[in-house]
Amino acid sequence: MSIAALASLIIGILWIGGGTWWLLARRQYRLAQIPNFAMDLIGFPVELAQSLFGRRGVPYALLLPNMLIFGFFTFLPMILNFYVSFTGGSSIALFDRPWVGGANYGAIFECESYFDPRTCSNEGFSFWKGMGNTLIFVAVQVPILCVAALATALVVNKNIVGRGFWRAMFFYPVMLSPVVIANIWNWVLHRKGILNETLGNASDGITALAGMTGFDIAATVTFGILLMLASERAIRANADPSLPWTAVFAALFLAVFSWASPLRMVGFEALSSFWLGLVLVAGLLWFVATGHPRARWAIIGFGILSIVLLLSIQFDSVFDFGRFRPINWLVTPNTNWPFFWLVFVFCWSHMGFYMLILLAGLQAIPRDLYEAAKMDATKPARAFYRITLPLVMPTLTVVLVLSLIRSFQIFDEVWLLTGGGPGRETFMIVQHIYETAFTGDNPAYGEAAAGSVLMAVVIAIFTFFQLFITRRQSEL
Amino acid sequence: MGIATFLTRTRGSADKAERIGAADVMAYCYLALGVFIILVPVLWTFFSSVKPERAVDSFDTRLLPYAQVETDVPGEGDKTTWIYTDDNGNETVVFKAGPTRKETDVAPIDDPTNVFKVPRTQLAPNEEIRIATENYLDPILKRNGQTNFTFFTYLFNSVFVTVMATLITLLINAMAAFALSKYRFRGRLTFTILIVATLLIPSSIILVSLFFVVWSFGIFGSLWGVIIPAAATPTGVFLLRQYMLTIPDELLEAARMDAASEWRIFWRIVLPLSLPALSVLAILSVIWRWNDFLWPLIVLISDPSAHTLQIGLTTFSGEFDSDFHYILAMTVVSLIPITLVFVWLQRFITTGIATSGLK
Repeated sequence: MSIAALASLIIGILWIGGGTWWLLARRQYRLAQIPNFAMDLIGFPVELAQSLFGRRGVPYALLLPNMLIFGFFTFLPMILNFYVSFTGGSSIALFDRPWVGGANYGAIFECESYFDPRTCSNEGFSFWKGMGNTLIFVAVQVPILCVAALATALVVNKNIVGRGFWRAMFFYPVMLSPVVIANIWNWVLHRKGILNETLGNASDGITALAGMTGFDIAATVTFGILLMLASERAIRANADPSLPWTAVFAALFLAVFSWASPLRMVGFEALSSFWLGLVLVAGLLWFVATGHPRARWAIIGFGILSIVLLLSIQFDSVFDFGRFRPINWLVTPNTNWPFFWLVFVFCWSHMGFYMLILLAGLQAIPRDLYEAAKMDATKPARAFYRITLPLVMPTLTVVLVLSLIRSFQIFDEVWLLTGGGPGRETFMIVQHIYETAFTGDNPAYGEAAAGSVLMAVVIAIFTFFQLFITRRQSEL
Repeated sequence: MGIATFLTRTRGSADKAERIGAADVMAYCYLALGVFIILVPVLWTFFSSVKPERAVDSFDTRLLPYAQVETDVPGEGDKTTWIYTDDNGNETVVFKAGPTRKETDVAPIDDPTNVFKVPRTQLAPNEEIRIATENYLDPILKRNGQTNFTFFTYLFNSVFVTVMATLITLLINAMAAFALSKYRFRGRLTFTILIVATLLIPSSIILVSLFFVVWSFGIFGSLWGVIIPAAATPTGVFLLRQYMLTIPDELLEAARMDAASEWRIFWRIVLPLSLPALSVLAILSVIWRWNDFLWPLIVLISDPSAHTLQIGLTTFSGEFDSDFHYILAMTVVSLIPITLVFVWLQRFITTGIATSGLK
């Protein structure tokens, strides 16, 4: 029997036996009051503290269990981490571990060039690769997650039918466990899975459609009509163009612009037109949202430009995708698809939680602010920038910090979906710690602990930096 | 009122009602797309899990579970059946009497001795819709050599961890919150700061040394090694403390007048009054514990009889990389309890978490 088991046995006997004796000596219990007696027995140390020290002793007794667990399982490991990171070997007994000084840190920093993890020692490579991937993941993930959560919260905060249903639906993936999520997405993303099947069918269908005679003219006319309708609705409003319809128009414009690809004629690659188009569209939306007096003319200008571009598009070649080859989404190296799906699945499973927090923030904004804005004929976009965003900023900060810390620690989804592969493309820092310490025949606890200390430093820097920035912003 | 106005107006009285604009249409499109992306993978997994092994292995992408009919042919045993369509359009149910070639030997199931050659292209599988319950029942009832997924052990472990951890969390967090909200004592600020500090220590950076601590306590490899270390949550303490601050002190004073002990005040007065906050914490704790993965993986991996549902499912998926039909079925099984809880309590969960507004 271990010491811990012996100790808990003695404490248990003292608690139950001593408590029963103590309580029965002082109080009368009827048979129907057995539950009361049980609850009193659970709180026996508190009762004892009150009778020994009076009311002053009670809060300490109440805090004791929580602080014991915090002390032993949070603060003690925190300090122990430093000690373990300076010891080597693979022994589990703390006092058997030889002191190695900074050798574990040395192994991590043993690099020829600090800009290329491949020149490091094995431990260093594993650590820096994991750290680099995690930083990229956080940088991509956190903004996407926050924007998606804010957008969803704004939408479900509107006066829409079945609000409760929509909220519940978006929250549902939060309830699912990582293993279930990974199995579901593994199944969907399999090379012969439903996603590839659907994409293949869609691309074959569109290719077949594009091969038909007259498709070019029909598509040109259809897109012309769509563009006209959207731009007409956008500038129909009396004073200022309507933002939602401008957004529809902008999406159409972006599609036409990237298909026509005017930059390709100047010798750039095809994708650059898309980015230029995105910049143009963002400019147009900003113009309309701020209510610039020339916004109407900007829309008309964009409309004329899109008609010119539309006439230059060969639609049957745009929509001719050729034969669809199924993609092995989670396995193919050098495609960034595994990374993309990790970001996607992480957003999919965590967005609902942050959406709910933001929703609470949105609902705390007083209604009369919006009514006053309506009295002054403030446009919705302006109301968003001047009322919603500043007032939801504290909640957004909380969401930013929480999601940053959470996505920095990503492990479950990666480990179950890609296992860090292909190669080490999705190898994250927690996986480095886990694999160094807990898998393999020769566990290197010291190196893992050194890695966790460095990771803690990075997280601390991030959190404080973020708090600092957002604090400065809210003061302005 | 025109029909268009009638159809596009939103809630509210006739004169105040606003009409559905482009913004509303976009909002509904966004919601529909979002729910589509969220639900389709889950539903697809469910529909795939009731398909027979052959359909799953051949990645049959039809929605319904089609299975090829097997018939007991006299003198031949169980045979999968095919439908042969001859040149006149007559259909015969046949089975293959030889290997599949360009010209395949088949025989009608009514007349097994009458073997004849038909072109392969004129054979189609004879299919019926059959729900493959064996995907679920084989691992659960340990039939067909599926002894590795001890479902009820895993379920018991998961439920035990979740229930015990939630009870302990609720009790000790409520005690700490009561002390911090209703007493003035030396070191209250220190304790508060200590608890805030734990909020800033993510669990994955103390992984290695927590392992040492849990090992020296002798609870490594047992379920208590999963339950105890995370039982005290800073989130829970703050959530409950904020709520208990709203309970009037006069109630406590009145109870003290009646000579109730402090512990009695706690569990007879404060606990029942903070039930809304307690239930939010209970829900959060259940979600955390049921879905917990990394720490149970470290603590429990070596002992299969201590695996929780999540760890059991992981090792099961790892061992049988090809037996997708069992993996999918067990995924659905482990998804059902939490889904039921969610459907039952969804309004409560979403409003509860939204109003408490904290992680």
